[in-house]
Amino acid sequence: MTDQPNIRVLLVDDEETLLEYLSKRLLKLGFTVKATFSGEQAIEVAKEEHYDVAVVDLKMPGIDGVETQKRLRQIQPFLQCIVLTGHGSIESALESGQEDAFQYLLKPVDHDDLVAAIREAHKKKTEVQDAKFREQLDQIHKSGLGAHGMRKAIADLRKIYGLE
Amino acid sequence: MDSNSTLKAELKRLTRELASHKIELHQTRGYLHSILQNSTDMIFATEVTGIVISFSKGAEKALGYSVEEVIGRSIEDLAEDQEGFHHVMATCEERGCSMAPDIYFRNKEGKRVHCHASLMSLTNRDGQRVGTIGVCRDITQWKKLQDDLIQVDRLAEMGRVAAGVAHELNNPMAVITEASGWAGMVIKDAKGLSPEDRQELEDVIKKISAQTRRCRNVTHKLLDFVRDSAPSKTDFDIHTLIKETIDFLKPELKHTPIKIHLNFAEEPLSVNSDPKLLEQVLVNFITNAIHAVLEKQGNQGRIEIGTTKADSQVEIRITDNGGGIPKEAREEIFDLFYTTKPPGKGTGLGLPICRNIVGNLGGKITLDSEVGVGTTFTIQIPIS
Repeated sequence: MTDQPNIRVLLVDDEETLLEYLSKRLLKLGFTVKATFSGEQAIEVAKEEHYDVAVVDLKMPGIDGVETQKRLRQIQPFLQCIVLTGHGSIESALESGQEDAFQYLLKPVDHDDLVAAIREAHKKKTEVQDAKFREQLDQIHKSGLGAHGMRKAIADLRKIYGLE
Repeated sequence: MDSNSTLKAELKRLTRELASHKIELHQTRGYLHSILQNSTDMIFATEVTGIVISFSKGAEKALGYSVEEVIGRSIEDLAEDQEGFHHVMATCEERGCSMAPDIYFRNKEGKRVHCHASLMSLTNRDGQRVGTIGVCRDITQWKKLQDDLIQVDRLAEMGRVAAGVAHELNNPMAVITEASGWAGMVIKDAKGLSPEDRQELEDVIKKISAQTRRCRNVTHKLLDFVRDSAPSKTDFDIHTLIKETIDFLKPELKHTPIKIHLNFAEEPLSVNSDPKLLEQVLVNFITNAIHAVLEKQGNQGRIEIGTTKADSQVEIRITDNGGGIPKEAREEIFDLFYTTKPPGKGTGLGLPICRNIVGNLGGKITLDSEVGVGTTFTIQIPIS
């Protein structure tokens, strides 16, 4: 529909109505969207499928946003997380997980701002991932593996990086 | 002969005793005198009728009268509520002592002095009452501090409640924002709508999103207000910060004839403070100045930003030639939710937030304004 790359977005928020409309809007803009309603559910989903950007609510029953994004990144290290909060405690959120989140946004977030943040996050994810991929690809080439071994190693790598 | 020598000896003994009593008396007097001179409490003595016969240094200081001005006057004259004070004196007369935890005197300038007073009857050797001694402590400052604390407490509590409400509103508002945004998309793609209906619906969506933005503005600013995280301080140059802030506000200034003049101190002004918070304050004041000037001046709008270094402080002055602030509004402008802007334009949160921030940075805000001429806000912050 647009010439943008296909961006896979994982939404995590216990506010179901919010996700209903948010995912519809994002889908319409050409994003690939998966809506999950708790941190636990998001983690399950992330084990099965690769995503580029996760949009995570900070305050949820069960595991909260900061913990969710930490665990998501353990499963998919290149995944970029945007944390949404309805709380004024952006700063305390920052303190507890600053190095992990790509960005913190205060709810209700301006739709254009969110879309811009998702695109930025995707850009960063691609850059980081490409750099790492190339580095490892280089290592495989230098490893002296035979053609067959090398093909298998590269296939494995593609799988790890969600590039199938 | 014998009795004569006995008498002599007795006289000698008495003289010696008298001399030693005299010394003792002298010492006691000196001791009492230095208490009277040095105590910061008000200490006074009166005759039975309440006429002042002694008035300590502390009393002079607390009430602003000199001893000479007070001696011979009735102590009740100095009290704000003379009848009440008379009652305390009467109780003392009856029981030998009395206590008044809250009594008000008027100082020489007519200002109220809040005291904690205790009175005692002064009696002679025969147990007859000859007067009253009063010891009063000036607790005006202490009371004021207490009131301030209550005020601060109330504000903090209000802030907490407001933040709770703001937080509760943010989530449903996020839903409204997304739902109306989606409705907008649906309308755009809808087939079979007449052009009028389409226009009508698009307008409605625009209004909904404008109003949710308005709500968001309030809740986000409220949350800003209560967020009392410690400032994170670094060294930076005030002049650079001001220039950056003006750059940031360029879009606001673009289509206005306003000129911003800089009147900076010659030397660079480096401070150790929180540049982010200070920028927020500057944005607020400069935006306010822009609005003030636009309302009043049309094409003659002028804003001046000046800086000076004074001892351990840096002073930033933002002067506009707008309409000025009437005297009665000068305190109110710092109140939560006070605004003169039309509904939907101002939140009444900007200045209270600024005052909070500057207070947290150890500085203060003052203003000087003349109706019809303009306003100068002065922000003072410590250099480090």
